[in-house]
Amino acid sequence: MTRRRDKPPEFRAGAWLQGSGPENDIAICTRARLARNLQGFAFSPCQKETDARELFEFVMARLKQPGMPELVTGVDLDTVDELERTVLVERHLISRELAGSKRARGVAIDKDESVAIMVNEEDHLRIQVFAPGLQTEAVWQRAERLDDALIQRLPMAWSEEFGFLTSCPTNTGTGLRLSVMLHLPGLVWSEDIERATNVAQKIHLAVRGLYGEGSRALGDFYQVSNQVTLGRDERQIQSDVFLAVSRMVQWEREVREALLRGAARTKTLDRIHRALGTLERAQILTSEEALGCLSALRFGVEEELLPDLAVADINRALLLSQPGHLQRHTKERLQPDERDQRRAQLLREVLGVAP
Amino acid sequence: MQYCTACQTAIATIVIMDLSGGAVTGSQHLCAACAEQLGVAAPKAPPKFSAEILEELLGGLKGVKVAAGKSGRLEACAGCGMTPAEFRSKGRLGCPRCYDTFRTELLPLLQRIHEAQGHRGRLPGRVGTLPALPDEKGLADLRRALEEAVRGERYEEAARLRDDLRRAERGEGARP
Repeated sequence: MTRRRDKPPEFRAGAWLQGSGPENDIAICTRARLARNLQGFAFSPCQKETDARELFEFVMARLKQPGMPELVTGVDLDTVDELERTVLVERHLISRELAGSKRARGVAIDKDESVAIMVNEEDHLRIQVFAPGLQTEAVWQRAERLDDALIQRLPMAWSEEFGFLTSCPTNTGTGLRLSVMLHLPGLVWSEDIERATNVAQKIHLAVRGLYGEGSRALGDFYQVSNQVTLGRDERQIQSDVFLAVSRMVQWEREVREALLRGAARTKTLDRIHRALGTLERAQILTSEEALGCLSALRFGVEEELLPDLAVADINRALLLSQPGHLQRHTKERLQPDERDQRRAQLLREVLGVAP
Repeated sequence: MQYCTACQTAIATIVIMDLSGGAVTGSQHLCAACAEQLGVAAPKAPPKFSAEILEELLGGLKGVKVAAGKSGRLEACAGCGMTPAEFRSKGRLGCPRCYDTFRTELLPLLQRIHEAQGHRGRLPGRVGTLPALPDEKGLADLRRALEEAVRGERYEEAARLRDDLRRAERGEGARP
């Protein structure tokens, strides 16, 4: 492999792909999400278009009032094109549902992309705070401060009995969903992932693939989050998620060690180097194949098997290989097959690998 | 002079206007017979007329009493109009008031999802400085005035009161 030191394409990782923070070899990012609704407005299933606009303007005006703990800038999603909305989805700042919604909707984001408040999603507000690595406590504390400030500015819907009232009963109570994005190639390759998922589910944690539809997890990236929002307070939820994820991280480490010992080692190295070979030589790469290769590469880099590559390169490649970022980078609309060609080319540039 | 939009033969004597934000957004011209048949108006039966228009006008508002169902079955939510069937099929609530309206169906659902039926944790009431709570008496007065305006068919006034009520519920105070 020859490694070129070309200027890397312009890239800002946002909070969630910084590659720093505790346990960052496995835990990519932690997110706290609070679901909130306002009194005096119907929830999304019964919301009229004019009310959606009124609510959006009302919230955005209140966010501009002085004294907010976070400096956020509002984006009206009607004023940005589809490509920019896709980019926001790929950066995990807005949901696919918000991007595709026809109603007045938007998001307020801070400059580090570590805070994103969605307006008019399934709930009126979806407050999100991100931090790299495994940092459940830090994201919760920051979300709590932000929530306090919003409670003072906006008339939240709540009751003593049910806590914060949400559109879907799965979020009622704290409205808190604490998620950790994990890279688990060890558990997937050793076929332990199903067992790990079952254990997590027994203690009421949801495990989903970060990329791809349904239960298929592309690139061995998973999202682990609490399912219960009612009957447990925020501290308990935080500590449940932290302990469970710490156990999964530990499990992943043990499996990785086993995969790099004895007879298994050659098989593992073969898989990592084949992935590198594909990224160096392939002329056509679907996002699915790219994610698989990048996952193997990330594993190799984390276990110090590929000294020429850095995790930051892999993270950049992960983000830029997605359709929105890819098209924004190439500054043109591309058909899927054109995208696959450009993806192969761009990944070589980003990773600085050449045949 | 206009013909009835329903039967197209009789002269319309009743006009039903849709009001939104103080402006007329639509109107329906009906003859007395059709109006009675459609249940929107009956001679000497103004309460029904008022109640229907009131419900329409109050879409999205909370705290307004809706007559209990004759059959005793679960009624649509008075806050947002969500029906029990809609709640069951969507699995979503339409407004804060739905938590009361669908309470009996909601509790077992919450139990299944969370293995709990009550909240533990933060509440706005326990957070530092609070936003001013809506003035409940002021709200009740506004609601009464709104009902009276509808009953008296003073729709422009009703629309204005509706907007005032919405703002008051959000703790914003009435517009000057």
